[in-house]
Amino acid sequence: MSLPAPKARRSPSLVPSPDSPLVSVRLLFHVGSVDDPPGKEGLAALTGALLAEGGSRGLTYKELLDSLYPMAASIDVHVDKDVTVLSGTVHRDNLDGYYDLLRQVVLTPRFDPTDFHRLQVDHVHHLENVLRAADDENLGKEALATMLYEEHPYGRPTIGTVQGIRSIRLDDVKSFHAARFTRDQLDLGIAGGYPAGFVERVQADLDELPSCPLPTESSFRLRSRPGIEVLLVTKPARAWAISIGFPIDVTRADDDYYPLLLANSYLGEHRTFHGVLMGKMRSDRGFNYGDYSYIESFLQEGGSPFPLPNIPRRTQFFSIWIRPIEARYAHFAIRQSLREVERLQREGMTAASFAATREFLLHYSRLWTQTASRRLGYEMDGRFYGRASLVDELEKRLPRMTVEQVNAAARRHLRWRDASVAVVADPEGAASFAEALRTDAPSPVSYDTGTRPEVLAEDREISAWPLEVSRVRMVRAEELFER
Amino acid sequence: MDSPRLMSHYLVVRAGSRNEVEPGLSGFAHFFEHMMFRGTERVPPEAYNRVLKSLGADSNAFTSDDWTCYHVTAASSALERIMDLESDRFQNLSYGLEAFQKEAGAVLGEYNKSSSMPLVTLFEKLRDLAYTRHTYKHTTMGFLRDIQDMPNQYEYSREFFRRWYRPDNAALVVAGDVDPDRVFELARRFYGSWEAGAARVTPPAEPAQTGERTAHVPWKAASLPYLVVGVHVSAFDPDSVEGRALEVLAQAAFSETSPLFRDLVLDRRWAESVVGFVPARRAPSLFCVMARVKEPSRLAHVREALFGTFERLAREPLPPERIRAVQENLRYRFLRSLDTPDAVAVTLGEALQLTGETSCVDRSFHALERVRAGDIQDSARRFFAPENRTVVTLGREAEAGP
Repeated sequence: MSLPAPKARRSPSLVPSPDSPLVSVRLLFHVGSVDDPPGKEGLAALTGALLAEGGSRGLTYKELLDSLYPMAASIDVHVDKDVTVLSGTVHRDNLDGYYDLLRQVVLTPRFDPTDFHRLQVDHVHHLENVLRAADDENLGKEALATMLYEEHPYGRPTIGTVQGIRSIRLDDVKSFHAARFTRDQLDLGIAGGYPAGFVERVQADLDELPSCPLPTESSFRLRSRPGIEVLLVTKPARAWAISIGFPIDVTRADDDYYPLLLANSYLGEHRTFHGVLMGKMRSDRGFNYGDYSYIESFLQEGGSPFPLPNIPRRTQFFSIWIRPIEARYAHFAIRQSLREVERLQREGMTAASFAATREFLLHYSRLWTQTASRRLGYEMDGRFYGRASLVDELEKRLPRMTVEQVNAAARRHLRWRDASVAVVADPEGAASFAEALRTDAPSPVSYDTGTRPEVLAEDREISAWPLEVSRVRMVRAEELFER
Repeated sequence: MDSPRLMSHYLVVRAGSRNEVEPGLSGFAHFFEHMMFRGTERVPPEAYNRVLKSLGADSNAFTSDDWTCYHVTAASSALERIMDLESDRFQNLSYGLEAFQKEAGAVLGEYNKSSSMPLVTLFEKLRDLAYTRHTYKHTTMGFLRDIQDMPNQYEYSREFFRRWYRPDNAALVVAGDVDPDRVFELARRFYGSWEAGAARVTPPAEPAQTGERTAHVPWKAASLPYLVVGVHVSAFDPDSVEGRALEVLAQAAFSETSPLFRDLVLDRRWAESVVGFVPARRAPSLFCVMARVKEPSRLAHVREALFGTFERLAREPLPPERIRAVQENLRYRFLRSLDTPDAVAVTLGEALQLTGETSCVDRSFHALERVRAGDIQDSARRFFAPENRTVVTLGREAEAGP
């Protein structure tokens, strides 16, 4: 599969809110970790980090921090697979001062060797000491990505690999920046209570960026072997984090995405209590803290349950996030969650569930854009996919959607039989777990507490449900993301 | 706020892990927060979730040392139904043993989900060591042994509800696109029958610390070494210049623009991060400074640099322009944070749980404006003496503590 990158648009996205005392700016460059050259995996992330924490030609990073500090403002940079976003929000009292700093960082970054070496070491540490060791839930998600996308850049952490990061030199960053952070790759967005003339001023400044169209193409090598595969990532763990997924061939650009979004919301809307997975796994059985599902790459924005905008991708995947669970329930939980996907795919939603979920989404989606900055982010994501903002698309499409469309989308896209399953497992118990998976052994569960008869009856069905795993591998956490 | 047609309904209960004075019951305020979602006779949990789903509401709760907060954000038009639901569960909560025990499993799962993170264990150890008597000794999650015993505490959970879930121990905040008169009318209608009678608790006072305490946490998995220093400071008082002086000090001495950060993180690159913070608590709490160190061999150097900063803060006055920059930062940070109904409601909710009055927000900013260099030196002298601090390090199992 080969997909071109969406083209940058020259007209800015604007979300004016004249009474707001805040102004937000988002600069979305169509450059991300997919553009890392082979052997330099992590170059986009390091370049982005140096923009955020490297000052400008006229200001050292320390001076930049000093200037931003009294405004309580920051220049935030998020590097993702397909895009890099520089963003910030500032009180309009300080807009001129802030914008002057942002402009300098974007047009004339400093690329100081000291900052480069500091960030390079930090990025390696992040892989070695955080992701592999101290963040099992994200380790599970990144391990799943390695299974879904194998050799493709989507299949490794955005931050890169240990050897890739170590091989990057400061000159690599400079050339990468010069070639990729051009005006042809930029989408500009401005929101809030910005003054007259501000948009034109920013546009004129950004026109100083070099022009160098560099269309990026990316060949996706998806796993071609059929069947359910399991990867056990071993490390000390008192509970096991599980991520399950498979690629899907719809994004917000496709009409089928929207009914699939509804089906997914019913199955496992992020951080809500009414999803099927949450109800059955947490509320009925007390297995763990939470169980959710997704039809696209998802990051939560800060402490809110809402998705971080501006992480669009050319291709997406379905996933289930089973939060750390006691080892004795892990096999059962994999069976149970995939069985729910299978049921949704085969039986579909009832008319009543459909109506309730549609009602929910119509209201809930409005909470995703509570600030002008977030409205702007959604607007820009819409452009990436050639659509309106997701919230506007839902407002338009949901009232016309039918349960048949939803069930047809679920039937077409929930191809659970080719799921990949990543489990962060304690070494003690991993081998016997692998054997149980290989032999499709029953996985009965027992509880230390009282359980309703209908739950116990369903347990008996789930524990013998044929999972038919085709391949089980085991890898030590410290071996992942090395090169 | 720039969130038309939306509102947040925050129910603030002044019960947190500080209330957990009985041995073996640490973590109970947080556990009870979970139980509040297990329904009433009129509205069982499935119906509660169904109604919230139909309203497209974002609903959840959190617990901290001093309070528990139940929040719902939804369309302004949903306020009446939300108040109906919320006031019902706060007055008529009802659940059986099975639901109680299943929820205990979810709470253990919440503990487990964070168990791979060194920070969680680091702060568990810091509190356990820094406090001998006060309930801040345990984290809000509670001691693991107590979490594991939660399924056996059904009766106590009923008692917990009777003691603390009372209107004289709670506050309602509604923020956003609403008509205030209508909010007061609905509040009277739905919450008016809630019966007062909250219990009182005075957690045991923490005796003054008389000597430096240290500990090392050996960590099984790979980790950069961590260092945290906790210093006993006073309870939150909105009018206290000394309290605001500590907030200015935390920023001036330990933020990204501080000399220590520049030295350790940017120049010598011994630490990946340095951060200092002083939590606002109803009882004397811990001012904390934490560093993530790049090499085990640098741990002792970082610790010395940190202690040197403590000494210098007592000895040398901060330049007035530095204090001014911090005051500006704190003011704009606060203004920027008030950008959603949620953010406004949580700010007022915290003010109410801390002092019972929303005026404390303005009062604390007035006190902040009065901070001068001498106040910062006085605070440093008073609190940063070695005998008042607790130092905890964490590192790989093979590496001994300093």
